Amino acid sequence: MRSTTIEILFPRNLSEALSIFSDAKENLKIIAGGTDVVTGIQQESKRFIDTEVLVDINRIPEIKGIEVRKKKISVGAAETFSDILRNNLIQNELPLLWKACSSIGSVQIRNRATIAGNFVNNAPCADTVPVLLVYNATVEIESLSSKREISLQEFLQGPYKTQLNVNEIVTRINIPIPSKTFVGDFYKLGRRRAVSISRITLAVLMDMRGGIIDEIRIASGAVTPIGARLTGLEKFAEGKEVNDRFFKTLASKMGEEIIKITGLRWSSEYKLPVVQQMFYQLLKSIEQRSL
Amino acid sequence: MITLKFILNGKEVSITTEPHIRLLDLLRDKFDLTGTKEGCGVGECGACTVLMNGRAVNSCLALAAQVEGYEIVTIEGISNGDVLSPLQKNFLLHGAVQCGFCTPGMVLSAAALLDQTPNPTEEEIKDAIAGNLCRCTGYKQIVDAIKETAKELQVK
Repeated sequence: MRSTTIEILFPRNLSEALSIFSDAKENLKIIAGGTDVVTGIQQESKRFIDTEVLVDINRIPEIKGIEVRKKKISVGAAETFSDILRNNLIQNELPLLWKACSSIGSVQIRNRATIAGNFVNNAPCADTVPVLLVYNATVEIESLSSKREISLQEFLQGPYKTQLNVNEIVTRINIPIPSKTFVGDFYKLGRRRAVSISRITLAVLMDMRGGIIDEIRIASGAVTPIGARLTGLEKFAEGKEVNDRFFKTLASKMGEEIIKITGLRWSSEYKLPVVQQMFYQLLKSIEQRSL
Repeated sequence: MITLKFILNGKEVSITTEPHIRLLDLLRDKFDLTGTKEGCGVGECGACTVLMNGRAVNSCLALAAQVEGYEIVTIEGISNGDVLSPLQKNFLLHGAVQCGFCTPGMVLSAAALLDQTPNPTEEEIKDAIAGNLCRCTGYKQIVDAIKETAKELQVK
């Protein structure tokens, strides 16, 4: 355990928090559920070695709650996975997000860990990222002097790098409610079903009309350096006729796309066939449910 | 140093502590509640599970300062003095305790489940204890003990 002490602040509302962040330096970190921060501090991770101040954001009402705002579902950044899983709006309108949240950690982790906490450190294995990407989620960011909303894809810059400045906080994640013609699925591969870091995650959302792919959104996590949409693959698929042969072509093309991004790795021999097979099965199940 | 007030096993308590120690250390070292165990220390094994406002959490992942105003229940707060809770009694009856290291966490995860879902399916029981590792007893006896407790509580 570290010998130097850490000060912990508990702002009661957003403006109090924003004024704390306004003159923040690198020694300040935000803590919500603590599933990343507390283990990081305990294990003396480099990311927290200089941390002197923690700001606990659990008591800020503005970054809590799930509600509909302008045809989008707005999820508070500090909403826990357990609260998200209990929400009917999420279950009915954003089933892929519900599925991804239910695959995270354990009951104990889901009771504490928060949705923004899942992606603010931009770890490649963040389970909600691929689904939030196919849902075209945007991220609301505030500082004392500014407020901006950008797409999650823009927000995620590179492995463990985001657009967030030290004087800013993610306040909400806004997700457009997809039309009912979209059918999708989420897949996660870990070493076991519970409490495992994902090795492969895939999210697919498809709008099929009259046997033709009208729109398809595909995102991967863990196999790529950061969670990302596979736009080349999406463009290739759009307008094509849905049949078993095409799905097989698309699955093998996905493998090529991933190799293009990551290069050949020691794990490719195992992961690639799994990714291709799982992607193919996701497409088949979506096709069946679209009919 | 920081002075915290919270409810611990039904009693209001106040303690002065370093703010950044873990809830686990606060419970074991400052309150001598050593029923809460440290296994992995990274939120994977569930040996340190306690209830925070009725929900199961890993006490190795919460900082002491974060419990201000909360209600915490540890394994010591589950029994009524020397009278075991129905869950504890059934863990013993079904041979669900071997070395006992995972037991406090298992019992608390099960207690949180039965509080919210009085009549759980086997799948729901398995999901509730998926974050609690047991390396010697085996899970069957544990699941049986939880099932039996649910049945008993239904009858009452």
